[in-house]
Amino acid sequence: MSPEDRRVWRFISAAGLGMALGVPLSMALGVSYDYTLTNVALGGTLLGILCGMVGTFAVLRRQSLIGDTLSHAALPGVVIAFLLFGREPSALLLGAAMTGGLGVLLVNWLVSTTRLKQDAAMGIVLTAFFAIGVALLSYIQGRAGASQAGLERFIFGQAAAMVERDVLMLGAACAVVGTALLAFWKELKLLSFDPDFARANGLPTARLSALLSALKVTVIVLGLQLAGVILMVGLLIAPAVAARQWTRRLEQMIVLAMLFGAFSGGSGAVLSALEGGLPTGPLMIAVAFSLVMLALALAPERGVLWQLWRRQLRREV
Amino acid sequence: MQAFERLLIELLLRFTTAERLNAFLGDPRNVALLVGALVAISTALCGVFLVLRKMAMTADAISHSALFGIVVAFLAMLALGQAPNLSAPLLLIGAAAAGVGTVVLTELIERSNLVKSDAALGLVFPFLFALAVILVTRYIPNVHLDTDSVMLGEIGMAWANANSHCFANCESVTITAEDPRAKMARRCLNCAAEGISPRSPGAVFETYCANCGTFSAAEAWQRRLIAQPPELVFVPRALMPLTIIALLNLLFVLLFYKELKLTSFDATLATVFGFKPALLSYALLILVSLTAVAAFDAVGAILVVAFFVMPAAAAYLLTDRLWQMLMIAPALSLAASLIGYETAQSLDLSISAAMVSVLFFFFVLIWLFSPRHGLLLALFRRWQQRRLFAEQLLLGHLYNHQHTAQADSESAQSTLHEHLSWTSDKTARCLARLHAKRLVDIRAGQVRLTEHGVALVRAFRSELALH
Repeated sequence: MSPEDRRVWRFISAAGLGMALGVPLSMALGVSYDYTLTNVALGGTLLGILCGMVGTFAVLRRQSLIGDTLSHAALPGVVIAFLLFGREPSALLLGAAMTGGLGVLLVNWLVSTTRLKQDAAMGIVLTAFFAIGVALLSYIQGRAGASQAGLERFIFGQAAAMVERDVLMLGAACAVVGTALLAFWKELKLLSFDPDFARANGLPTARLSALLSALKVTVIVLGLQLAGVILMVGLLIAPAVAARQWTRRLEQMIVLAMLFGAFSGGSGAVLSALEGGLPTGPLMIAVAFSLVMLALALAPERGVLWQLWRRQLRREV
Repeated sequence: MQAFERLLIELLLRFTTAERLNAFLGDPRNVALLVGALVAISTALCGVFLVLRKMAMTADAISHSALFGIVVAFLAMLALGQAPNLSAPLLLIGAAAAGVGTVVLTELIERSNLVKSDAALGLVFPFLFALAVILVTRYIPNVHLDTDSVMLGEIGMAWANANSHCFANCESVTITAEDPRAKMARRCLNCAAEGISPRSPGAVFETYCANCGTFSAAEAWQRRLIAQPPELVFVPRALMPLTIIALLNLLFVLLFYKELKLTSFDATLATVFGFKPALLSYALLILVSLTAVAAFDAVGAILVVAFFVMPAAAAYLLTDRLWQMLMIAPALSLAASLIGYETAQSLDLSISAAMVSVLFFFFVLIWLFSPRHGLLLALFRRWQQRRLFAEQLLLGHLYNHQHTAQADSESAQSTLHEHLSWTSDKTARCLARLHAKRLVDIRAGQVRLTEHGVALVRAFRSELALH
């Protein structure tokens, strides 16, 4: 292990410890961890960890915005599942995952068969799926007579509705995603940094990409309930972008991203309890974005302040 | 903007009467179609350049962070003590500034070379959106943020929210007690206090004027104070900003057509020629922000992106010429908004969502059937090429062996497929085609090239050699 590596690991442990201190600190400030808050905070933390794991690969592979497409594309699935199976949570999640995955496939298909670039393909799929979802939703509402108030929840998320079952599900997802990443660690690492070399070495790059997409779909669909459609993409990539600034190694980046994600998710929930009435999802994003700004400014070697300082030194020489 | 609106109505009144204008603009259907058409045209014009410059997702980001600008402007108006209303020009300006701010912030983050462009965009707009939501819940909790209207727009209700303009008999009417139209009434001064009836002898009365005061022309007409009704024209509020934006976009495209074309296709060359691609790019983004905000009310923050991207992308699959794209994109968008409105009405759906769904349907049709870049055409071409290649391979095989000692074993009809490693079916079909074209002869189980076949093989071989 090089001295630089050791330094970063030491930084990670210190940051982890510091962030863990947030729990007793918040208790001292008068936050009482009742049933709801415990669920929301645990859920946020677990979602942050998931986002850190999956977001790392999304950022490295320059596929950050596909998360936005995916989360919007989940709406028609939710509505169709609601039409077919009613308010059964697992059916809604499955429906969301189906159309979300379909959206990603369609983006890839559009890019490979037409001369449209990825941005246009994403814009088309995102809005088309969302519009179809809204049209279906308005159809249901018209038929049921009363407003189902489904869209608001879908767009902004509803963290307070977290129950123990959701937390357990997020925990299980953490285990599954973590295991999948560990099992294909070497391959995914190669795919992220040099896809051409990976292909030349006979790795099934298409299948590995599909695996990453499937993991992304899982995380986003689970996160929609907490963060909502629009903010989900921010939560997915912000921890990874912040983590990228502090290190050059994938292992360190993903651990740090998980840590940042956990902190953003958990402290978003706690802040919302502390400052009564503020919504959890937006607070999570605000914390995550602050971590990014902090990293951009302070990160050793890369950070803006560091660059300015070095330029100053050079001028003095 | 009010003055401009009045000017426009005066122009229209030369051709029609106020009643007919009011009847037209009071019909929800007409207004929705008009608003839809204006949104379609103004977004499609910008959208063409967004798609060509690979900035489709920038439009998505702008439309989201516009909410932040609106909220900040709303708070600023509250702080300044003005009565905030949701159609004030300050809100438009705030939203446009936020749109441009998103782009600037993204470029700043990007230019630090620490974050890739896609991630920078994906960081900035969720953050601004989150900030907007936090500000709303923290400082304006009593203003309910109506998700449906912000996210989906309310094109169907655009007719109901109108400005009025008066053209004749507009004087306000002031009634005083001396006026012959004044209605005098009596009221008991001590009835309530002493608990007596007005009929009891102790009641004290005073006479007062019941309809005194100053009334606008419309109020005066309602109270029947004037004989002639005022000539009022009601114009839906959404129309004017959209009209101005549509004209602005049209003007921008017409004036800077050459510059936009050059910078969109070859920014480097444009710089060499002394144009300023960055300047033009910002001008375009300002227009996109303004358009997004003006269209916001009608079709909502998320679906407006569809109007930017889809028609332009569909046009891009139909043609290679910029001016044709600029014609096709608005036309498609117009057609989709018309059909979408009718569909929504008959099925009772959200209007803007139906419009976008129809737009997507058009896009898929064009994607499949475009004569230039269509999927089916591409599949057909590939199938044709595969057939042609198979034929050439077979002909080449026969040519290579035609006068050699192995000619009989290499060219036997029954074993030919083994030499080519094909299935016997494929070989038989290919042979049948070649036979029909009279390129091969089949005699006694032996396949031989005809003269025509030999000539063809020589022709494509020499062509290959040239390449």
